[in-house]
Amino acid sequence: MALQLGRAGFKVVVLEKGAYYQKEDFVHDEILNSRRNFFMPLPWDEPHLIRYDPGDKYRRTNAAWTANCVGGGTVHMSGYFYRLKPIDFRLRSELGPVAGANVADWPIRYEDLAPFYDLAEEELGVSGEAVPHPFAEPRKKPYPLPPLEEHPISKQLDITCRKLGYHPLPTARGIISRAYRGRAACGYCALCGSYGCEMDAKSGTNSSVIPAAVATGNVEIRPRCMAQSVEVDADGKAKSVVYLDGHGVAQEQRAKVVVVSCTAVESARLLLNSTSSRFPKGLANDNGLVGKNLVFSSFGESRATFQISRRKESWPWLGDPAPFVQRSLQDFYLMPDNRHGFRKGGTLGFMWTHPNPIFAAVRIAGSGKAAVFGKELKDKLREYRDSKILQFEIYGEFLPTPGTQVTVDSSVKDKYGIPVAAITIDRHPMDFKLTKYLVERGEEVLKAMNPEKLERVSTRGETTILQHGTCRFGKDPATSVLDKNCRAHEVPNLYVVDGSFMPSSGGVPTTLTIAANSFRVADALVKRMKRGD
Amino acid sequence: MPRARPKATRFSRRVFIHRLAFLGGGVVLIGPACKRDPSVAESKALPDSGASRSANQTFTPEEMAIVAAACNRIIPPDQDPGAVDANVPQYIDRMLQTAEMRKIKAEFVPGVAALNRQSTRLFGQGFAEATDAQRDQVLTLFKDSAPASDEARFFDLLMVFTLEGLLGDPSYGGNKDRVGWALVGFGTSEPPLAYDGIRHLHSHGAR
Repeated sequence: MALQLGRAGFKVVVLEKGAYYQKEDFVHDEILNSRRNFFMPLPWDEPHLIRYDPGDKYRRTNAAWTANCVGGGTVHMSGYFYRLKPIDFRLRSELGPVAGANVADWPIRYEDLAPFYDLAEEELGVSGEAVPHPFAEPRKKPYPLPPLEEHPISKQLDITCRKLGYHPLPTARGIISRAYRGRAACGYCALCGSYGCEMDAKSGTNSSVIPAAVATGNVEIRPRCMAQSVEVDADGKAKSVVYLDGHGVAQEQRAKVVVVSCTAVESARLLLNSTSSRFPKGLANDNGLVGKNLVFSSFGESRATFQISRRKESWPWLGDPAPFVQRSLQDFYLMPDNRHGFRKGGTLGFMWTHPNPIFAAVRIAGSGKAAVFGKELKDKLREYRDSKILQFEIYGEFLPTPGTQVTVDSSVKDKYGIPVAAITIDRHPMDFKLTKYLVERGEEVLKAMNPEKLERVSTRGETTILQHGTCRFGKDPATSVLDKNCRAHEVPNLYVVDGSFMPSSGGVPTTLTIAANSFRVADALVKRMKRGD
Repeated sequence: MPRARPKATRFSRRVFIHRLAFLGGGVVLIGPACKRDPSVAESKALPDSGASRSANQTFTPEEMAIVAAACNRIIPPDQDPGAVDANVPQYIDRMLQTAEMRKIKAEFVPGVAALNRQSTRLFGQGFAEATDAQRDQVLTLFKDSAPASDEARFFDLLMVFTLEGLLGDPSYGGNKDRVGWALVGFGTSEPPLAYDGIRHLHSHGAR
């Protein structure tokens, strides 16, 4: 968004609550990156409130934060860059309503977004190989970069999946396999997810579009500036953003157009906290829909352990340190009938389990009475040294329900004194059916590879860093917050361009979709501003 | 070494360990209860124990001996080095000085004393003087305590800190000669030589 506005000659100020990390700040230190507040705020400084039942009390958590820094969640992402499929835009009309869920069609179609998928892939840098398969979404161009190198297990996985009648697909990555636009190629260090990339090879916005935006000379990034409210003028148009600067001093930035992009949870919080006499329930919230229809992504996981020493002859390559598996199954993205209790499913992504050693060891040690220590623990750690753990994650449809939503709780304030986001998660039973089904299919694959151990991690989870829906876009101002160009129905110069606009979660990680959509919205906004509208 | 200490602050929740799955198993935040407690947030509420009287920053020499004995039962030396070989006690001592760990320090230090008391009660000698079998007995007692109890929480913290000290970046003071990484078969391109994790935590994360 900032890039396209800057290129068109408009002046842009980007307010970011976190730091502006540079490549040198990204080091391979698990304690710093994964176990403290380098990326995520501490729950006593800046909590989210969460509950899993509308009748429960909230508890404080750091869940549903993404990285608080320039580039946000794209800094510490793993970079699984999938597109949605045409069905995702038309769930309601193709599959009909679902009782207890507020399923809606998107006001645009896949074809409207497709050119911007192309553009986003090019601007960010995506490596992959588009292979023909029965569930492929249409695409006009190959990926801008060839696929990253893979571990030999990927071929083994292909053979196994095909034997079972499934169609394994290479997973496209937001990581560059060759030098690209002044950025160095991936060094295969294996520490992608939960780390920033010290090579700029990972295609976070901090490595790609943000430097390009700054280079236009029209975009200023202001880190450590916490937006407090969006203010409106007498006509109800957005006039400025009030924020606390790095010294905690309140500042006001005036603007012709305000674009909110703080993640679906935090954007809803900002709008709900932006009350005025014109908008007493929060900005653009006369219809009470800001924060409603929150959707995450349904999550499931299982892990298969393969001992290296036992496969010296059959799989001599098993101990190869190559970090990427890059295989997905989308055979269950859309089911032909309701036999298993759902039609819209999702994707299985296969990968090596994360190499973070403390994370692995804490898990191995267990907790509570079941915890082990001493020689037993040490033996297990040695066993871990001799193993490779192949896992899959599910990215499944997460149905919008009347209960799952974000509100603000004025009784709980963060360290800035701003009321925090309160999240209620009230899952639809269909989510669990589809997740369990997908987990069982993944386990079928892993089992066929004869692992020493197969362990189910979850069939009822949600991935809270993939967040959407709190400012749903739609044609009807009575049932949506934003119009099809992500402009607020009620405020003509207010836009929201994170995942908030999405009425449904899709069955893939949505990072690329959010990026593509912001290019689409920028295109419309630039045209509008050039018309002087 | 009796010394006046404020009463251990009780927390409303267990050690807070949360996982965000999509990040590939990376993100875990260790912290205590999420409740703000001004009495602990003020660092003045805690005497800077030990630092002035020994090389340690958090523990007195007596406490350090107990911590070392306990860590070395979590990861004992055998054909591979143990927690003390990896300088895990020094890691914990140093880590508990960081701003983010202030609340955990208020829980951990009294836990060390409790370990010692339990050992004395059962065996007539302090934890540092007890045999390995006796130490294991005390640790098991703590581990198997009711889930929300101070004892179970202390065991959790001891476990997590021991594994952090064993397997974390060596700049924090543990994982000496990368013995922890050798144990689990982890290798990575490491931060520059001058890197100091704790300083980095403060300059960026904690602000």
